[in-house]
Amino acid sequence: MISLTSYAFVAMMLFSIGAIGVIARRNIFVIYMSIEMMLNGINLFLVTFARYHFNMDPQVITIMVIAIAAAEAAIFLSVIILLYRSRKSLDTDIFNTLKQGEKS
Amino acid sequence: MMIDVIFIALAFLAISGAIAMITYANPMYSALGVLISMLSVAGMFALLNATFLFLVQIIVYAGAIMTLILFILMFLNIKEEDLPKEPKKFQLIAFGAIIMIPLNILILKAVAKLPEKDFSISNSNFGDIKPIGIQLYNNWLLAFELVSILLLVALIGAVVLAKKRNSKIRNAGDKS
Repeated sequence: MISLTSYAFVAMMLFSIGAIGVIARRNIFVIYMSIEMMLNGINLFLVTFARYHFNMDPQVITIMVIAIAAAEAAIFLSVIILLYRSRKSLDTDIFNTLKQGEKS
Repeated sequence: MMIDVIFIALAFLAISGAIAMITYANPMYSALGVLISMLSVAGMFALLNATFLFLVQIIVYAGAIMTLILFILMFLNIKEEDLPKEPKKFQLIAFGAIIMIPLNILILKAVAKLPEKDFSISNSNFGDIKPIGIQLYNNWLLAFELVSILLLVALIGAVVLAKKRNSKIRNAGDKS
């Protein structure tokens, strides 16, 4: 009963929910966690196809993705702390320092 | 049969954790939902014969990254009134779902056309640490070295960002 399609369904659901979170939410922590969720969905897809083709390469790519996600976590969270210290808010709409036109 | 039940339970937990992430207003509950989801994905890695990735997922994602997020959420001491107001959240979630559904249908149709194969847990050493290490140091050596440089750059970057906190950035924030 477990087939390729059921794993692909779960992976695509995780990816889509992550993308919906990036679109719909304004809390910067939730956006970060949505990005992690999308990476998780892609990892699940890669490991599923590694099992399907009985090939080890996608698992190595998954290790690379996890390492890059760890590096991203360190940078992203320190930037969030700096932004929160200077603006006292977690709303993504007020981070508009690079906006053209009128000054914030 | 046993594996089917485990798979369905893990899939349910993974998807419900992800849904909890995008619906709760408090980021603490969102982080706990993500934690549940990541542990379920680790269980699926185990079902897919990726034993080393199962360990890495639990140690790095659930153990390190999510703990870092929870630590920073508690460290910032966010009050209820600091959270952004999201009055149109559910409309935007519905809008995002409408955008994502065609992509899902496309990929699931493409995957369903592939020939079926046996997905039961095999007894070979597929996914153990030794074959992964052999692959990593033979075919993926350049990528491995580049990732190590990336981690070093991220380490230095995090230290530099944490150091500037007291002087420049806070003054810029006070002026605006």
